[in-house]
Amino acid sequence: MIKEFAKKARAGSIDLVEHTRKAIESAQKINEEYKYITELGDAISRAQELQKSAKEGKAKGKLFGVLITAKDAICVQNLESTASSAILKGYKPLYNATVIERCLEEGAIILGKTVQDEFGFGGFCTNVGKGYSKPKNPNDKKRVCGGSSGGAAGITKKADFAHIALAESTGGSIANPASFCGVVGLTPTYGRVSRHGLISYANSLDKIGAMAKTVEDAALLLEIISGADPKDSTSASTPVPEYSEIPGTVQGIKIGVLESAVDERCDNSVRKAVLCAISKLEELGARRINIELPLNSKYALAAYYILALSEASTNLAKFCGIRYGAYDTLNGTYNDYFSRVRSDNFGDEAKRRILLGTFARMAGFRDAFYTQAAKIRTQLIKEYKEAFKKVDVIITPSMPTIAPTFEHVKKLTPLQSYLMDELTCPPNLAGLPHISIPCAEHEGLPIGLQIIGDHFCENKIIQVAKTWSQISK
Amino acid sequence: MEPDIKIGLEIHVQLNTKTKLFCSCPTSASEPNTAICPICLGHPGSKPVMNSKALEYAAKLALALGCKLAPTVTFSRKTYFYPDLPKNFQITQHELPLGRDGKIALDDKSIVGITRVHLEEDPGALIHKGNHVLIDYNRSGIPLCEIVTTPSINSPSCAREFLKKLNTIISYLDIFDPNNGVIKADANVSIKEKGFVRVEIKNITGFKEIERALTYEIERQKESEVIQETRGWSAERGITYPMRKKETEADYGYIVEPDLPVFTIAEEWIQAIQSEIPELAQERAARWEAELGIDKSDAKIIASNKRVANLFEEVAKTTDPILAARWIRREVLRVLNDKGKDIKETAFDAQHLTELINLLRDKKITNRIGQKITEKLAEKAFSPKAYVEENKLTMVGDEDELESLCKQIIQDNPKAVSDYKSGEKKSLQFLIGQVMRATKGRANAQLTRALLEKLLEN
Ligand SMILES: [Zn+2]
Repeated sequence: MIKEFAKKARAGSIDLVEHTRKAIESAQKINEEYKYITELGDAISRAQELQKSAKEGKAKGKLFGVLITAKDAICVQNLESTASSAILKGYKPLYNATVIERCLEEGAIILGKTVQDEFGFGGFCTNVGKGYSKPKNPNDKKRVCGGSSGGAAGITKKADFAHIALAESTGGSIANPASFCGVVGLTPTYGRVSRHGLISYANSLDKIGAMAKTVEDAALLLEIISGADPKDSTSASTPVPEYSEIPGTVQGIKIGVLESAVDERCDNSVRKAVLCAISKLEELGARRINIELPLNSKYALAAYYILALSEASTNLAKFCGIRYGAYDTLNGTYNDYFSRVRSDNFGDEAKRRILLGTFARMAGFRDAFYTQAAKIRTQLIKEYKEAFKKVDVIITPSMPTIAPTFEHVKKLTPLQSYLMDELTCPPNLAGLPHISIPCAEHEGLPIGLQIIGDHFCENKIIQVAKTWSQISK
Repeated sequence: MEPDIKIGLEIHVQLNTKTKLFCSCPTSASEPNTAICPICLGHPGSKPVMNSKALEYAAKLALALGCKLAPTVTFSRKTYFYPDLPKNFQITQHELPLGRDGKIALDDKSIVGITRVHLEEDPGALIHKGNHVLIDYNRSGIPLCEIVTTPSINSPSCAREFLKKLNTIISYLDIFDPNNGVIKADANVSIKEKGFVRVEIKNITGFKEIERALTYEIERQKESEVIQETRGWSAERGITYPMRKKETEADYGYIVEPDLPVFTIAEEWIQAIQSEIPELAQERAARWEAELGIDKSDAKIIASNKRVANLFEEVAKTTDPILAARWIRREVLRVLNDKGKDIKETAFDAQHLTELINLLRDKKITNRIGQKITEKLAEKAFSPKAYVEENKLTMVGDEDELESLCKQIIQDNPKAVSDYKSGEKKSLQFLIGQVMRATKGRANAQLTRALLEKLLEN
């Protein structure tokens, strides 16, 4: 769909200024009701500029005239980028993230920034920073969007214009809201996409990915943003295939079904929907192989939280009211000042994670927590690698439930809400590519199917996801 | 045997790379906060990118100090809150330093062990102005190489010798710019008399200050009660002063720096770096002694300055090496010392210096004329041979000519002559001086002495 739109736009058969103006209008209207967007860019000027180049026959780019939104943690030059935290209020980056640059090179128009859990700290998008509104589920306003890329998933679902979203996942922040909102969420291999310009949550886990209405559109965005970047030393130079051109087929594909992911801890409706989808894929020529990942099931969540929070607590140290973002009147010692600015501006979950993360790396505890978790991560990756010798992809539900209500989320303890990440955490910790696609509905709410691939085997998860989207039409 | 004094040093050398350790900002700037960017200011979203030159320089130093290189390069985050530290963590090497287990041998054959050599970034600088504190981030991210010794230095003078040797190595490797860069040290000092209770002295700037601080601190420890603590060094007052007690050692909560991939050091890379390390001062001096017969102390002194040493080697190729060594050590270094200049700031060059030494070797000019020409060669390059001819400065070495001049001087100075004859040997020196004056320094000094002695015998 995006491809066809861009093609028409390049040919000049779409009035881009008009399309963009309508899109902004529509986005604003959606936003009033659902609260997905934190900041709008100057989309009209950009549309005029593109329109002019189309008239002159100079139009080019795979995203020509397409509106994109960026999760708030992704820096856009001159557009307030705060990771939805009050502590960065007023911060306008001096430069574009590499993913933004790449989209602009392909002719995209930046519509705006989408709301998220503060710094990515949450699974429901209810931990937005002070002064931000919680986004509402596009299918039912009493329910949450999921997080942390909640705004991205919501606007992707609701947009009635040519749009794709740049989202980001640390421990499941793409698959989770994609599943709850009913859109496609594609998280690449760690290192596949440059993190330059991404406000870090946990640097060894953060992955920028794509959200779209279709697998093909998400794959198109991934193909544009992937590839080595000299500004991010952890970005990989592995060649980038044309993900959007991968045909949907499961002939001969070996699907690993993680039995523990479809046991009684999963909601009945979710289990049924996922098992049903798997048997349909079997009918089309896939082979089902049951697998177990005992180490991952037991340790991934704990290891993930220890590593993610250890890194997060150092990343957030820089926010202290001196160089950018929120500030206060200068008095007291620098320690008093830093503490005041940080106490006043971080939300509760951010404070909780800073404390937990700092604890896990303190002398005396570091070996038992941080160092141990790092060692376990290596073992967990090994376990996955063994599994991928036998199967091409692994399928699980994305989330064990459908989107919960705000009411329900309020009652959860922090531990209970961390447990919701049980299915998304392991592939994220191991840096594996995974995609969440809508596979059924329950009570009018979407259920997500998660397909996990081996490192840099995005092609396989895209091929399976595409097959599914073709038969489920 | 246990020593009376134990000193360990932690030295920070600023590497003279063109750009900073993790960004492409220049390492020198005149105006505050002009050499800065989102990376060295710790802006959200910015990521460090390793400057491979800095890694190369640090590896060179580690290898030159005889260290073993780590199999991989890993960085850590050292977290502490301070206004001059943009990210509130410093990227340093904690778990696995680049180099380990090196040493420097002192002249008395004692060994100063080097525990680790690692790379890290410098924080910014705080500038106190009245009631205000200003922050200049130009220094933020400048590459530093930290060298940590074992507490095996047994006196301030050994510390000085160690630092001198380290300085020579650094200058041989061309990894430090003495005009632009800073050398800072922390020292730990303990003495036997007080049961080796360890005191740390923080933030001493410059080699000379380090020896001063150590000398002061040892005297202080001898004279007062010693507790385990951290002290500061005040260069203005020449004293150390208490900063904090040791029990509250900061917890830096080290984690691996996740924005920089761990990369493996290839054997070929090490070999390439190793091959770039020039012959160092100690080996060079030993070689000159063995191959050219240069005096041991001349060789050591010339070798300790890389540029002077290079000049000497060039000169020694085409003239008498022993004479060249003596002349460079006594005369060239004297001129440099008097002018307070490095050799590269002068006009000295091998070709003209060789010419001068040849004139001396062939007894075409006297030492005194040679000294004057040396001073002029520091200012601008010219041909000493042509200069000598033009100004008629050739040595008066003709025996008949000198003898008649000596006779004249004897005749003109009856008092000195009688003093000499009555045993006042100093008077001979006076008479030689008179001959020199009459020839404007061109008289062959040895011949003059011999002639005068002979004439005065009669
Ligand atoms: Zn910089």
